[in-house]
Amino acid sequence: MIDTENLTRKFGNLTAVDNVSLHVEEGEVFGFLGPNGAGKTTTVRMLCCLIGKTSGQASVGGFSVDNEDDCLKIRKIVGFLPENVGLYDSLSAYRNLDFYGKLYEVPDGKRNESIERLLKLLGIWDRREDAVGMFSKGTKQKIAIARALIHEPKVLFLDEPTANLDPEAAKTVRDFILDLKKEKRTIFLNTHNLDEAERLCDRIAILKGKLVAVDSPKNLERSLYNRKTIVHLDSVSDQVLAAVKSIGSIKNVRTSDNKLVLDIDDPERDNPEVVKAIVQAGGNIQYVTELRSTLEEVYLKLIREAKVQ
Amino acid sequence: MRLWKSWLVTQKDLSVIRRNKYVFYSLIAMPIILGVILPATFVFALNAEVSALPHNQFVVAANQLVSTSTMYLVLIAAILPSILASYSFVGEKVEKSLEPLLATPTTDGELLLGKSLAAFVPCLAVTYIAAAISATILDVWSITRVGYFLVPDLFWFLAILVLTPLTCLMSVEANVIVSSKVNDIRAAQQLGGLVVLPIIALVLVVVLGAQLSVLLATLTSIILVIVDIALFYLSRETFQREEILTKWK
Repeated sequence: MIDTENLTRKFGNLTAVDNVSLHVEEGEVFGFLGPNGAGKTTTVRMLCCLIGKTSGQASVGGFSVDNEDDCLKIRKIVGFLPENVGLYDSLSAYRNLDFYGKLYEVPDGKRNESIERLLKLLGIWDRREDAVGMFSKGTKQKIAIARALIHEPKVLFLDEPTANLDPEAAKTVRDFILDLKKEKRTIFLNTHNLDEAERLCDRIAILKGKLVAVDSPKNLERSLYNRKTIVHLDSVSDQVLAAVKSIGSIKNVRTSDNKLVLDIDDPERDNPEVVKAIVQAGGNIQYVTELRSTLEEVYLKLIREAKVQ
Repeated sequence: MRLWKSWLVTQKDLSVIRRNKYVFYSLIAMPIILGVILPATFVFALNAEVSALPHNQFVVAANQLVSTSTMYLVLIAAILPSILASYSFVGEKVEKSLEPLLATPTTDGELLLGKSLAAFVPCLAVTYIAAAISATILDVWSITRVGYFLVPDLFWFLAILVLTPLTCLMSVEANVIVSSKVNDIRAAQQLGGLVVLPIIALVLVVVLGAQLSVLLATLTSIILVIVDIALFYLSRETFQREEILTKWK
């Protein structure tokens, strides 16, 4: 649904987006992670045909961002939630959505239905005639999401959808995005929030001008750090330690109080053998847990490495 | 160019403007002061002189009154867009609503036309209403005092039908350009207001006694057409998606 090939954007001497190549499948929720100034918003703006590219290729829904006619087609199939909601405060929620519905060329009957459905879904229908300026930040964000969906776009670009929201409002927005995921809509999510990315996204790209990594959250977590199995015992004897160290697939063994911390490539395969070895060596296992590196650790490591380069 | 899309943008802007009391009252106050109260005051002042002045001098004074009143109408057409256009363009910047608007399947030309019309149409409409009231005041007075209608004459028609829309257009276009450089509505109004300086100079010349001939009004109109065309290309250059998102501060 979204393809880029060496997509590059320069502003004077500054390269904001540097040779980014990615492919986003239809129905996929794709997270774009990166610090401030990493080029996330610039990439989205290029994909929405809001700004041009310096070099490379990009297409959305099979339409090229190079061509002005294609750009109008891209804007028709794309819904866009910018970082700032940008609603008209003096107009009502209904009037805001109606205006955008008309600009997106949604026929009258369908437009009214869509507005009603979205505002009811977001719990704002009863306040539809209130001026947007009277709403809280969270409610404005919901209306802005409704605006991005008014024409039922195939692709949804969300730029920091939960930034500056209180936890409750952020949760409402995230739940709504999860509902959209069920509808198999392609969602391109720019975010700083690693927890959000991990919960919502099928795949994540980490960007720092250049693309640093692209994979599923689980694979990213696994790829950089070994998975660790922690075995809690009533005591760690020399026999138990020796038995565990004799297992070839274990890369590293560390003890901490009554715990054994084991670096294991494939815990699903190797854990039963570990448990068996410990029991045979006379160890008394209390419980076995897994320690995973978090996406945050992966993200920080990759971003630091990118800075060094 | 899909005109209905431009008209949608115009309608939305007019709704926003209508809900802004400051803009709404400014839109009404200016024509009342310049288009109604001032001509009425002049008529009242001249009325006192009717019996004292010889007929030929009175006619000169009456014509002077028509020229001055008409130039005030041109002045209204120059000032009002600086109020409306600054809200139309800088207002979008302040509300940060330009980006989602630019993301819709609408061309730059359609947006520019829509937003320009939102400033142009009400200003011209209000100026024409003021012109109608001003002409009525002048004619009611002149028919009773000098026995004929002072307006409309050829100069009045030229000023109202040609000079006024051209001046209004110039002011709107200048405000599009100013909007790209400033973030504050008041700053936009002040800078946009500079556009009226040549018009104020022209009004002053008339107030100080110069008769604006049809020839001079025609020449001024030709100059305004040239200025409008130049400003049109400049404003189009300024009003491009990329410029707006990356350079409008």
